[in-house]
Amino acid sequence: MNRSRTLAVLAALVAAALPAALSDFWIFIAIEVIAFALYAVSFNVLLGYGGMLSFGHAAFFGVGAYAGALMVRKSGFAPEAAFALAPLAAMAAAAAVAAVVGFFSVRRSGIYFGMLTFAFQMLLYTIALKATGLTGGDDGITGLKPPGALARPAVYYVFALATVGPALYVLYRLVNSPFGITLRALKANPRRVQYVGVDVRSHQLAAFVVSGAFAGLAGAVFALSSGNVFPAWLNWTASATPIVMAVLGGVSSFLGPALGAAVYVVLEVVISGRTEYWPLVMGVIILALVLLMPAGLTGLWRRRGAP
Amino acid sequence: MRADMTPILHVRGLARRFGGLQALGGVDLEVARGEFRAIIGPNGAGKSTFFNTITGLIRPDAGSVTFAGRDVTGMAPDDLVRAGMGRTFQITSVFADLSAQENVQVALLAHARQSWRMWARAAALHAERAAELLALVGLAGSEARHAGTLAHGDQKRLELAIALAGEPTLLLLDEPTAGMAAQERIESISLVHRVARALGVSCVFTEHDMAVVFAVATRITVLHQGRVLAEGTPAEVRANPQVQQVYLGESVIAEGVHA
Ligand SMILES: Nc1ncnc2c1ncn2[C@@H]1O[C@H](COP(=O)(O)OP(=O)(O)OP(=O)(O)O)[C@@H](O)[C@H]1O
Ligand SMILES: [Mg+2]
Repeated sequence: MNRSRTLAVLAALVAAALPAALSDFWIFIAIEVIAFALYAVSFNVLLGYGGMLSFGHAAFFGVGAYAGALMVRKSGFAPEAAFALAPLAAMAAAAAVAAVVGFFSVRRSGIYFGMLTFAFQMLLYTIALKATGLTGGDDGITGLKPPGALARPAVYYVFALATVGPALYVLYRLVNSPFGITLRALKANPRRVQYVGVDVRSHQLAAFVVSGAFAGLAGAVFALSSGNVFPAWLNWTASATPIVMAVLGGVSSFLGPALGAAVYVVLEVVISGRTEYWPLVMGVIILALVLLMPAGLTGLWRRRGAP
Repeated sequence: MRADMTPILHVRGLARRFGGLQALGGVDLEVARGEFRAIIGPNGAGKSTFFNTITGLIRPDAGSVTFAGRDVTGMAPDDLVRAGMGRTFQITSVFADLSAQENVQVALLAHARQSWRMWARAAALHAERAAELLALVGLAGSEARHAGTLAHGDQKRLELAIALAGEPTLLLLDEPTAGMAAQERIESISLVHRVARALGVSCVFTEHDMAVVFAVATRITVLHQGRVLAEGTPAEVRANPQVQQVYLGESVIAEGVHA
């Protein structure tokens, strides 16, 4: 826990100083890192703590992105108000969808749980494609612009940090809370945990909703920075991203997936700028990292289980 | 006073079939408060199935279970535990990735209905009580050890501490000494016996080692092929010719035990 805290303080200092040292392009990449860090950590609340491997987490990132975009584009509020409400709308929408998806999915465990989340994601993807009036269909929603000074990357960066930082803290409190330890117990032994008086499904559902809500927040933070939302964000291939980030960084540490997100995003930018075969190169690098560090990057200096 | 006269556990006609196998063929059992009841029987007699059916892991085909005067037939495990029924498993079942201390804390948090709190720091909650329970089962000093790295016997004792954390009025222990060396078995069951006595917990346990059974059981029920073959005090059961026949070759039951 001390290491976690040191790491968090260090990360916060570096993060705060970063915009001064970076070009607008790299500030934009840094914003992407921040958003995906929250996405990966929220995903890992399910996987690393609850032992639930969701194959459909992109659905919540996507729903949050659309909800945030629609709030800005179509709510009719003043731009500043709409923008301020966008993160809340994203969380609420993602939480609501996660409540429905979770309600059915936690009825099964293991691979069947994964398949249910996968199926719901296909459903939501299709809705994003076909509900043209709301989502813009294939074209998505483009040309979103944060109001006023927030349109400048360095300022938006601060907004992203100020949103994601507290969100990460909330999740950190959660995984170390009685609910968090109960989740870990549930992962370790789902049968035993019933026999200490815990109702398994309702705890899994709650974790699913919280995780989905924060994935939605991450989606909105990213969408409003990139200015676009596309249905492909909800496609099943997109759900591999948080899985890879979490495993890369280490699922048994709270900030591991955030580190995994940073490495993944930066690698992708650097490599895709150099070769059209970048997926191949990414694949090889990830393969090497996972083979060399089965406990993820954070596994290198942490040998105990989850904090 | 009247309440104390109702049996802590009253099972009537409990039946369960697995495919073509009648694992339980209508079992009746009445356990008075304060009893230390042993359920014995050869492998496959239905002892674990009996426990699993009582504790909501398996649905019975027929029969009823009354716990402290309340019909709990088919009740979900977490509700049963909250009603005061604790259990352990034949194959030791702890939270391997959690520390011994956390194993007990999870149970204490659930018992205090605090498993939904999402902001408080769990490490600070019930830490003392958890340490007390670990000390009670002889695991003082192992608080920080990961449960999965504890020796087999210690995991069995940890599971007992987990079960005790729920302040049960009835403990169902499925082979509490399985996999232990002979000497460790007697020590372990004596520990269970002592603790249960001290806390006023009634106890039903299954056991293969007759030395262990005769060391602590107040009454013995013999299961055979899913039915109750005999029931009585240790002396009565030992003298029962039918029981001797089932245990043919296991001379220990006929000769008694000098442990
Ligand atoms: N889930 C199950 N599905 C199918 N058959 C089962 C199941 N559980 C138990 N059985 C069978 O029911 C019978 C009773 O098994 P049970 O485990 O209750 O016996 P036991 O008395 O506990 O034996 P042991 O002393 O070996 O633990 C056995 O023949 C067993 O194979
Ligand atoms: Mg058994």
